[in-house]
Amino acid sequence: MSSVLDTLVSQPYKHGFVTDIESETAPKGLNEDIIRMISAKKKEPEWLLDFRLKAYRHWLTMTEPQWPNVHYPKIDFQAISYYAAPKPKKKLSMDEVDPELLRTFEKLGVPMHERAALAGVAVDVIFDSVSVTTTYKEKLAEVGIIFCSISEAVHNHPELVRQYMGSVVPAGDNYYAALNSAVFTDGSFCFIPKGVKCPMDLSTYFRINTQDSGQFERTLIIAEEGAQVSYLEGCTAPQFDTNQLHAAVVELVALDDADIKYSTVQNWYAGDEKGVGGIYNFVTKRGLCKGRNSKISWTQVETGSAITWKYPSCVLLGENSIGEFYSVALTNHKQQADTGTKMIHVGKNTRSTIISKGISAGYSNNSYRGLVKIGPHAEGARNFSQCDSMLIGSKCGANTFPYIQVQNPTAKVEHEATTSKIGEDQLFYFQSRGIPTEEAVSMIINGFCKDVFQQLPMEFAVEATKLLGLKLEGSVG
Amino acid sequence: MSTTTTHPYVAALLAGTAALPQSPAAWLDARRAAALERANALAVPTTRDEEWRFTDLTPLTRLQFQPVTTASTVSAADIAAYAVSEAAVRLVFVDGIHVPALSHAGFLPAGITVELLASALKKHGALIEPYLAQLVKNDNDLFAALNTAFLQHGVFIHAAKNAALQAPIHLLFVATRKGVAAYPRCLVVADAGSEITVIEDYVALGDEAGLTNAVTEIAVAANASVRHIKLQRESSQAFHIGSSAVTLAKDARYLSHAVSFGARLSRNNLSVTQMGEGAHAQIDGLALIGGRQLADTHTLMDHTQPNGTCEQSHKTIVGGAGHAVFNGKVFVHQGAQLTNSSQQSRNLLLSDKARVDTKPQLEIFADDVKCAHGATVGQLDADHLFYLKSRGLPEAQARNLLTYAFGAEIIDRIPVPSLVAQLEQYVMARTEAGA
Repeated sequence: MSSVLDTLVSQPYKHGFVTDIESETAPKGLNEDIIRMISAKKKEPEWLLDFRLKAYRHWLTMTEPQWPNVHYPKIDFQAISYYAAPKPKKKLSMDEVDPELLRTFEKLGVPMHERAALAGVAVDVIFDSVSVTTTYKEKLAEVGIIFCSISEAVHNHPELVRQYMGSVVPAGDNYYAALNSAVFTDGSFCFIPKGVKCPMDLSTYFRINTQDSGQFERTLIIAEEGAQVSYLEGCTAPQFDTNQLHAAVVELVALDDADIKYSTVQNWYAGDEKGVGGIYNFVTKRGLCKGRNSKISWTQVETGSAITWKYPSCVLLGENSIGEFYSVALTNHKQQADTGTKMIHVGKNTRSTIISKGISAGYSNNSYRGLVKIGPHAEGARNFSQCDSMLIGSKCGANTFPYIQVQNPTAKVEHEATTSKIGEDQLFYFQSRGIPTEEAVSMIINGFCKDVFQQLPMEFAVEATKLLGLKLEGSVG
Repeated sequence: MSTTTTHPYVAALLAGTAALPQSPAAWLDARRAAALERANALAVPTTRDEEWRFTDLTPLTRLQFQPVTTASTVSAADIAAYAVSEAAVRLVFVDGIHVPALSHAGFLPAGITVELLASALKKHGALIEPYLAQLVKNDNDLFAALNTAFLQHGVFIHAAKNAALQAPIHLLFVATRKGVAAYPRCLVVADAGSEITVIEDYVALGDEAGLTNAVTEIAVAANASVRHIKLQRESSQAFHIGSSAVTLAKDARYLSHAVSFGARLSRNNLSVTQMGEGAHAQIDGLALIGGRQLADTHTLMDHTQPNGTCEQSHKTIVGGAGHAVFNGKVFVHQGAQLTNSSQQSRNLLLSDKARVDTKPQLEIFADDVKCAHGATVGQLDADHLFYLKSRGLPEAQARNLLTYAFGAEIIDRIPVPSLVAQLEQYVMARTEAGA
């Protein structure tokens, strides 16, 4: 059965191409001058430059984290160019967007017009570091929603950005968050005012394009009292041979009764079968359930990147607040993933759910690392965690590192984890019903991930199912 | 070795090594010297070390401990409460030193040897050499290195091929004095097809702050079976740091029952390495603590060969401002196919200040395996309480009964009735006193 698996696993990367657009790139290296240059290019206010410089100075005192279960050559932070922008051209409407850009998205299967029109999705397209176009902005503005690039937000809504940026992930939170705080170039900003239910799913497509340009996105989503929003983030990147660093920071803030749902499908270039190339995805994502009855839900389907280091977390501060984490992480070839979540229960009657499904194939290594922390004042806190792993082939690894820290006797915490493989008897059953092995495997894996896929918005669920099938084509047999 | 860089607290602990007599074997002197060098190179772990993340050794480092050469006077009546009537042999150590008057050797069947390390090294050197200070790894473990550096007092237990002893061998370690460091060492070698039961029992007279740093090595040959009962009932001021290292050959069986009630700070390391196919391990653990006690258990089940099985169940009951720590690692190597390993960490919190940090950990590198772990932290089930109350039990009594039952599940699996009775009585008394 392993031969079918092997061929399934060995699908070439279908999104590997480089769009030839002239880009304006900063010289390689990182110092205060580069940071001042980025800040000046973006015509940022003084306080933001201060924020960057403080983060940079703090970053200099920090060391790279050694604890993740991943191995890679030391990153030369001076060999990275920290700013790349497509040649500035005035772009006012969709029709004026560089056709080359549009074709790129076409190839990725993101037909913007169609998507915008048919799926009702507003896409804030990020091409390398500068937000090129934002659709549906006006429609959202009617109900008071601000959805724009973070650079725009800095100019148009500085008070909001200043109030919330760094409030969930402080500039010195960790090595990569500090780096991001110092050099972030763009990202999305989303503000849902009091009582507004966002009429459509918001979406960003990330794309890493210029060779050797690190990407440092900064996303900030704020949901005021009673507001509701569902945010989709999808990623694909073209094939490069040198490793690229991606250190994003995502901050979510939910006030009283607010509800934020954040979904990710990540399919960046993972390197070839030998582990050459691929993206280093070192991301800090954290949500703060600040208000009573607020809710933050993370759903992720991680299939790409050479190395993934990512722990979307929830700080459950408000009474009765809810945190959720649903994850499918698939690794193949030489990919390494160390991903999971942190649920920090601070407030009373806070609840969290963690469902994590890890699939490892080839020579890959897939780790779940999670923290459930119940503080001394989190009366009646409740957590349920389930982490299942599936191994395909005998050369891969699946690890679970759950940390459970409880300081309140009224809390109830449950964790379970299992490891399994696709059973011969399961396959035989499918075959006896006339279903070919490959299809059977795809069905079994989809069944394995069902609990997570159910949480994804419709369009994403379809994409995720396809993606997993694509990634594992020929890997079981 | 450069003495200048030795951690000051480690240097103080090691001061006593200078007074150690030469061991009966040159190879052992070499191993002691290597361990001393290692200990000199290591620092006292801090909470920045992942292995000690939740266990702060600062209270230990505020006190000084030295080994002694003469034991305090202890009468048979003093330790009568710890008698295990089923035991075939009892060896008693007071403050780390063997006291023949308190020990008794019953009838031992042919092939079973229970002897003090010192004399065994002279008689059975060739049997001991492959295992002693070889099974436990001290590269990164200061306390294992310390124990080996001080290696002098201890017990050698040997079961020859197909020899079997149903009755347990009782090793009783009594701590009596403040500031005393005891470094007991046990080596258990079970040859093919043999079967033995060993009770390692750490108790205290009085409520003094002593340090017990124990190391036990157990080698189980093909088809042999070793049951290992470790009881830690030290004083509430004491520090207990123990490590056990076990190797299992083909189809060997190792059954472990570790119960911790005592010590201000205790750490129990258990590492089981499966060296042959089809080996089986059962690892039971119970920690019942309150006050300001900390009980830390670290286990490693290392499946290196196919068809291994392991069932682990670790429970803690934490009252007062107690703090229980559990780290259970299950490692399945490439090629260890058809491994079936399960682990449960269940924790009961009885008070507002009680705290539990648990980390069940799986690392799997083989695809055809069944591994599962589960962890729960919580208080007594409201439905269970309601049921008992509906049958007329007062709230307090219902709580005690349920708490007792939670712990008894582990204790009842120890097949030594007099010991079970002792332990159950203790758990009952302690739950009634509110842990």
